[in-house]
Amino acid sequence: MTRSVPAKAAVYALMLLMLVVFIGPIFWFVLLAIRPADTFFTMPPVTAFTPIWDSVNYAFGDPGNNLPQLLNSLIVAAGAVMLNLPFSLPAAYALSRFRIKGRKHLMMWYLGLLMAPPVAFLIPYSILASAVGLKGSYFSMILILQTLTIPFSIWLLRSFIDEVPVEIEEAARVDGASTATIIGRIVLPLILPGVIVTSMFAFVFSWNNAAFPLVLSNRETATLPVGTLRYFGTAGVTWGFIAAAAVAAMIPPMLIFLALDRYVVRGLTFGSVKG
Amino acid sequence: MNSTLAHRPRRLPAFIPWLLISPSIILLVALIAFPLLFALKNSFYFWNLQMSPTPMGFIGWGNYEMALSGGFFFGALLNTLLITVVGTAIEFTLGLAIALLLVHKVPGMNMTRALLIMPTTIAPIVVGFLFRYMYDPGGGLIPWLLTSLGIPLPPQGILGSSTTALWAVLFADIWQWTPFFAIVLYAGLLSIPPDIIEAARIDKASPWAMLMRIKIPLIKKTAMIVIMLRFMQLFNTFDLVLVLTKGGPGASTRTLGYSLYQYGLVDFNIGLASAMTWLMVIVVNAIIALLVFFAFKEFD
Repeated sequence: MTRSVPAKAAVYALMLLMLVVFIGPIFWFVLLAIRPADTFFTMPPVTAFTPIWDSVNYAFGDPGNNLPQLLNSLIVAAGAVMLNLPFSLPAAYALSRFRIKGRKHLMMWYLGLLMAPPVAFLIPYSILASAVGLKGSYFSMILILQTLTIPFSIWLLRSFIDEVPVEIEEAARVDGASTATIIGRIVLPLILPGVIVTSMFAFVFSWNNAAFPLVLSNRETATLPVGTLRYFGTAGVTWGFIAAAAVAAMIPPMLIFLALDRYVVRGLTFGSVKG
Repeated sequence: MNSTLAHRPRRLPAFIPWLLISPSIILLVALIAFPLLFALKNSFYFWNLQMSPTPMGFIGWGNYEMALSGGFFFGALLNTLLITVVGTAIEFTLGLAIALLLVHKVPGMNMTRALLIMPTTIAPIVVGFLFRYMYDPGGGLIPWLLTSLGIPLPPQGILGSSTTALWAVLFADIWQWTPFFAIVLYAGLLSIPPDIIEAARIDKASPWAMLMRIKIPLIKKTAMIVIMLRFMQLFNTFDLVLVLTKGGPGASTRTLGYSLYQYGLVDFNIGLASAMTWLMVIVVNAIIALLVFFAFKEFD
């Protein structure tokens, strides 16, 4: 397709420009976490410096101000994924395998929830959680995140289950296998890859959600983005600490997306576009 | 979807599918109905959370009148529509241009594509931190670059001026989500059968005609899905504004999403925020219905 030398050079030039624009800022922010404080805002930019680990140490080493928040993020995101599966997996299976009246409308309803403004629910959740004594608990965040993880997982899981031929299940049934055997020995192993991919994306969406923890967490249960936001409240903005904590919040989603490269399009479009 | 079980002989009773689906519906309805009804009730009360832990008096449509006549709602709606429409259009156009670049099979392109999606993986609130650093008037990278190029900047800084702040917020969003369009549209372009492109090439179709007459119509369905998803996410923008501008200066970057947060959780005017919540819920539902109708019409 691209054979001439000038055309090839143009493609490479644009490719480089693209990487500078979209990856450059991330790289710049990572550098902020390991810069000496007197080069945070020097312009023209200082790129040659000896990395120092003070900010990273302050955030995650000694005293590790953001370390508990990293753990909180992990608990909340993993909890949200685990609580979601018993609800989304059976629903996705039924929506894929059975011709149910109103199936399309139901799918649209789930999709509508994914597009609802989370902020519209923040005030009621905040007040209601206090009223029932759940405010500040991991459970409150994990529970409310289900409004995102369940519809998302149903959509994505359904697209995976659709791809497993139904004939395999029927053959087993003809052979006299019980429903429990069919589900445990045949269905689950076949859709397991889809369940893992879906869970990893659901983990990223929960990990990246800041709105719910913002109003539902307390000082002890704050997740990493919420903890990072607190630095803006302290005297002056402590940019080195912010960068150290924020970069740590960036890393897990990035690694998961790199690992799931061939499923990224499908994950981001809730299974409606197969990449 | 090739085949379903139900139209073949089955031993399973009809309630089984609903047994599998209903737990998700029951939980979701509970999680959504409670807050919405709670907001509906409070939208008819005067209630400042700092003054009282319970609603302080029925005021009928007072909160709605305040939201609609005081410019709280329409000002925010205008900002929101502005960034949503402009943002979706720019992200789609740039994303399509990048997708057309990504289909060139040169060494290194696969790695570029895998890296390109990185901005989209970051939490919007973290993108906010990143851009607040880069916009800093006291030595941020972006003001320095623009000044070096001879572009005059407002003395209060890019985020401190009401003429530039909203666009600066939008720019951060464009940076984060253009790769999303690029990657998905790239997948769409790849799914076009090569013989169609080849036939057009033999017919000597110009590259522009090829794009407008063949490629875009063939990826229309994919394009509609991403446009719809992004349109709604942009409409709900809240995290970015919270970190970058807190709605300011003045009300110049107050989106609908951020307004709810501001009135309810900063000013603690629960009544007004609840009325705004319902106004937003009505607008969002109308838009979703419209978008779902267009983008997912043929979906099954």
